[in-house]
Amino acid sequence: MQTSNDAPVKMTADEKNSSSRPDFISVKDFNFFYGKKQALHGINMDIPERQVTALIGPSGCGKSTLLRNFNRMNELIEGVHHTGDIRILGKSIYDKGIEVISLRRSIGMVFQKSNPFPKSIYENVVFALRISGTSKKSDLDECVERSLRGAALWNEVKDRLHESALGLSGGQMQRLCIARAIANRPKVLLMDEPCSALDPTATVKVEELIRELKQQFTIVIVTHNMQQATRCSDNTAFFYLGKLIEYADTPKIFSNPSEKQTEDYITGRFG
Amino acid sequence: MELTRHILTGFEDALDNLRKDVLMMSSLSSRSLENARRGLFERDEDWCNTVIADDEEIDALEIQVDGEGMEIMLRFHPFASDLRNVIAAMKTSVNLERASDQSVGIARRARKLIALPLMVETSRIEPIFNLASSIFDDAIKSYADNDIELARSIKPRDRELDDLNREFADFITEMMPQNPNHIRGFLELIFIARCLERIGDQAKNIAEDTIYAVAVKDIRHTHAAM
Repeated sequence: MQTSNDAPVKMTADEKNSSSRPDFISVKDFNFFYGKKQALHGINMDIPERQVTALIGPSGCGKSTLLRNFNRMNELIEGVHHTGDIRILGKSIYDKGIEVISLRRSIGMVFQKSNPFPKSIYENVVFALRISGTSKKSDLDECVERSLRGAALWNEVKDRLHESALGLSGGQMQRLCIARAIANRPKVLLMDEPCSALDPTATVKVEELIRELKQQFTIVIVTHNMQQATRCSDNTAFFYLGKLIEYADTPKIFSNPSEKQTEDYITGRFG
Repeated sequence: MELTRHILTGFEDALDNLRKDVLMMSSLSSRSLENARRGLFERDEDWCNTVIADDEEIDALEIQVDGEGMEIMLRFHPFASDLRNVIAAMKTSVNLERASDQSVGIARRARKLIALPLMVETSRIEPIFNLASSIFDDAIKSYADNDIELARSIKPRDRELDDLNREFADFITEMMPQNPNHIRGFLELIFIARCLERIGDQAKNIAEDTIYAVAVKDIRHTHAAM
């Protein structure tokens, strides 16, 4: 695991144990600009497969910008550009042969505020499949059940799959969005503050779900909630002013960070 | 790592209050040990009674520190050095309370010795008292000043105290057959030495918790040099 500016950090026991797992996402010398404003500075980090990696830091530190680069969503904004590279399983996401649409299909994303479509629960889940041309009912049914079970929502909605998704509670809507995000069997699941609009009970359900989903997916989560990062993630990266300050396994970051800025932030001395 | 102040002044104040209460406990515990010494060597029952009476205040502070620590965890969810400091404060207060209980034990035994004729062997316990007292005060100082070097010096000194205690017990055991009329007094002295040995253990615990809080090194149950 590496931190910013090429400075390698000491390998922890967990990292040594997980050395058989390849680094799934690899960020190399990555700089990102909104027009002339540089939002990310020389980021180097390796994100291991089927683990949860939390990105933390004060507002404007670049964590969401980095997250949105993993599926090239930032390119929807005018005037952005980057240098450096992001590789998934060794392959650059900026290769000329890569289709942005298929990249985004292989990387699910869940946002801060749940955003179900004004359609039925069923249609929300199969939305991406329909767009990609799948119309066979048995395939769609299988996808709905698998995704809703994966999102721990199946038992709550199996008898009303064709009712409007907008009738669900906030926590259920967010889990529906997770079901929709995993319907296409993505390799990576990106979560941008997925629980910030949820009540404590719904938050617990989503956090439990995150822990279960990491068996199948590589998850990167942006969160402002430090307790959530400690509960859910295996690795934590702390960003400040567009730089990756420290990146290590989560217990290390929250019990004995190496960098003063990390300690100051997580203990509430700035932010 | 020199840290700036918290954004939440309530958090900063709560941590300050917790530390102040532990330091107050330290001061009272150290005073009790000193009062127990005066009671024993000056054969003054008033000092012994003072130690026993003061224990209530230390007990109350232990409960207060526990409550404050719990409240900080509930309200502020401390991390990193803050979390270690809260845990160290709570553990230190337990050790201070136990050390204070040992001082009470010494005071109670001293009262019994005062009721007996003066025994010359009592003076043989003074080096043990001096070492236990010095270890205890230095452990407290290491906590108060976050002084890792001082904390590191405690463990070997505690082993020295254990040796002194064993030598003293052997000496008294040898004396018993020669002075059967003093058996009761000898037993009180052995128990007092045992209390002092336990105070050394509490001091060692405080030093270990200080090292963990400041340097994040867990050196409990190790013989390695700290």
